[in-house]
Amino acid sequence: MYRSQTLALKYFSAAMTLFGIMTVSGLIAAYYYLNPDFLFGILPFNIAKILHINTLVIWLLMGFMGSIYWFLPEELGRETAGIRAAEVLFYVFCAAVAVVAVVFIFVQYGGSDEAALWLINQGRKYVEAPRWAALGIVVIMVVFAYNVMGTAIAARKTTGIITVLMIDLIPLILLYLIAFPAISNMSADLFWWWWLVHLWVEATWEVLIGCIMALALMQLLGTSRRIVETWLYIEVALVLGTGILGLGHHYFWIGTPNYWLTIGGFFSALEPLPLLGMVVHAVYDAGAQHMKTTNRPALYWMMAEAFGNFIGAGVWGFMITLPQVNLYAHGTQWTVSHGHFAFWGAYGCGVISVLYLVLQKTRNLAFVDGPRWKWSFAALNLGLVGMTGALLVAGFVQAFVERAIGGSTLNAFISGQENAWFVDGMVARFLLAIVFTAGYVVLVWDVLTVGRRAPAVAAVAPAQ
Amino acid sequence: MSALATLETGLLLGLYALLAGIWGVLWALAQVRQAPIFGRSAAAAYGLHILAALTIILWTPLGFGWKCLIVGSSLVFFVMPWMTWRFLQHTHQNGGSEHDRKPSQHSGRVVARL
Repeated sequence: MYRSQTLALKYFSAAMTLFGIMTVSGLIAAYYYLNPDFLFGILPFNIAKILHINTLVIWLLMGFMGSIYWFLPEELGRETAGIRAAEVLFYVFCAAVAVVAVVFIFVQYGGSDEAALWLINQGRKYVEAPRWAALGIVVIMVVFAYNVMGTAIAARKTTGIITVLMIDLIPLILLYLIAFPAISNMSADLFWWWWLVHLWVEATWEVLIGCIMALALMQLLGTSRRIVETWLYIEVALVLGTGILGLGHHYFWIGTPNYWLTIGGFFSALEPLPLLGMVVHAVYDAGAQHMKTTNRPALYWMMAEAFGNFIGAGVWGFMITLPQVNLYAHGTQWTVSHGHFAFWGAYGCGVISVLYLVLQKTRNLAFVDGPRWKWSFAALNLGLVGMTGALLVAGFVQAFVERAIGGSTLNAFISGQENAWFVDGMVARFLLAIVFTAGYVVLVWDVLTVGRRAPAVAAVAPAQ
Repeated sequence: MSALATLETGLLLGLYALLAGIWGVLWALAQVRQAPIFGRSAAAAYGLHILAALTIILWTPLGFGWKCLIVGSSLVFFVMPWMTWRFLQHTHQNGGSEHDRKPSQHSGRVVARL
């Protein structure tokens, strides 16, 4: 096994750990809506939320990096260039995440000075990490880009997928630099901040997961490279074509010119079209294989990725993307519902799919199956779909009572929060978050034990 | 837009996109399974999608331009599964190459532990 693949296993282990922290902190944050006094004076809601969102970003990022470190040497036929630096930086990355989490939990706040920005919290949602840690992330991503590009240069070859990946890594790093400046004009600050958040999630990450899924499809189903690369180019073009200017659908209530609302609404309304193409593609692949594979969890999670992406990003996004609706739905639990479903569908399922592929190889399994992955698949997806449904109901109440009727006053906010439908929605969300958490526990159990407890099943391939 | 219209429009837009997805999946399943029930269900799903589109156009207070977008999207949703399928068949018929990777079950095994 390449050293790069050993490093990939470490990244997957770290990603799964952070997935757990994200789940627990999300559960805590959900409980605050039922009992606002919970952990009063110890761990405020906003800290639980920061932990939830930042671990979401980092576990997915680590999952992507693990996937690339796994596939890269096989794809280019040599060890990853600069692997020693990558190995060292993995530990630096983990240590930095741990220190930042400890600071968030125990220090929580700083003064309104430069020292707080550098040492405690940069104060911008999704990229709260203090500046020293943000600089560390830049270094890690630059080395990661060097790993990919340097390997292609050293191997004196590239493939279509690796070329797309290399091009994608440049904006991925450059966009993150927006996390640094502390712009005093709030409109200008939020204008640029959305470039980072939106263009990471709906542009560079989409391309990244497209590359990873292309590499995984070749391993999982033996799909030909030409087919995979052709579709990668098409889907990347369509996703970028609709996603980049969809940026405007975030520009509500922050003082940006009105034309952004039309531009954002129009382009993001086109986003379900390529996503439908991906769903049809998934059905085609499943039909061609008759759902038979040596790695059922990987295939099912890959299918869940295509369907989850369409429903979470496409359907849930389409509900709120036109300006007339977005005006009221913006920033309510309605958008939270969309965010949960879209992140899970587009990225979470994809990373879990690759994890099972990697497990099959590292544990020398001819066939991966069993009851546990099915339980975790069902609990995670049912929990997630249930949570998004509950959040949707709560979001309807906010958009209706707080925004459209109440005009977003403080009284209207309180009325919305006390509305029975909102409260019931939050109770349902918490209960379904427990189902999701149970699914995570079973997933970890399966990942740790698959192929280790039943070697007879693992060693003999079934007759299919 | 009134408070109630906001909710109604949002829900109708979601239903519109969801029915387009169901249409696409059922149409694709009809190609895979060759079972008439899937074809008929797909047609019914697209019919409901059109009904949702008409309701949006005739009943919601969305602007004229957005209603045109709804009509255009419905047309693209109609041809998207067919176009995708045709192109998939085309690429799979001509897809083989000497650089292709074998499926994982045939590739070399490596043993390690997490």
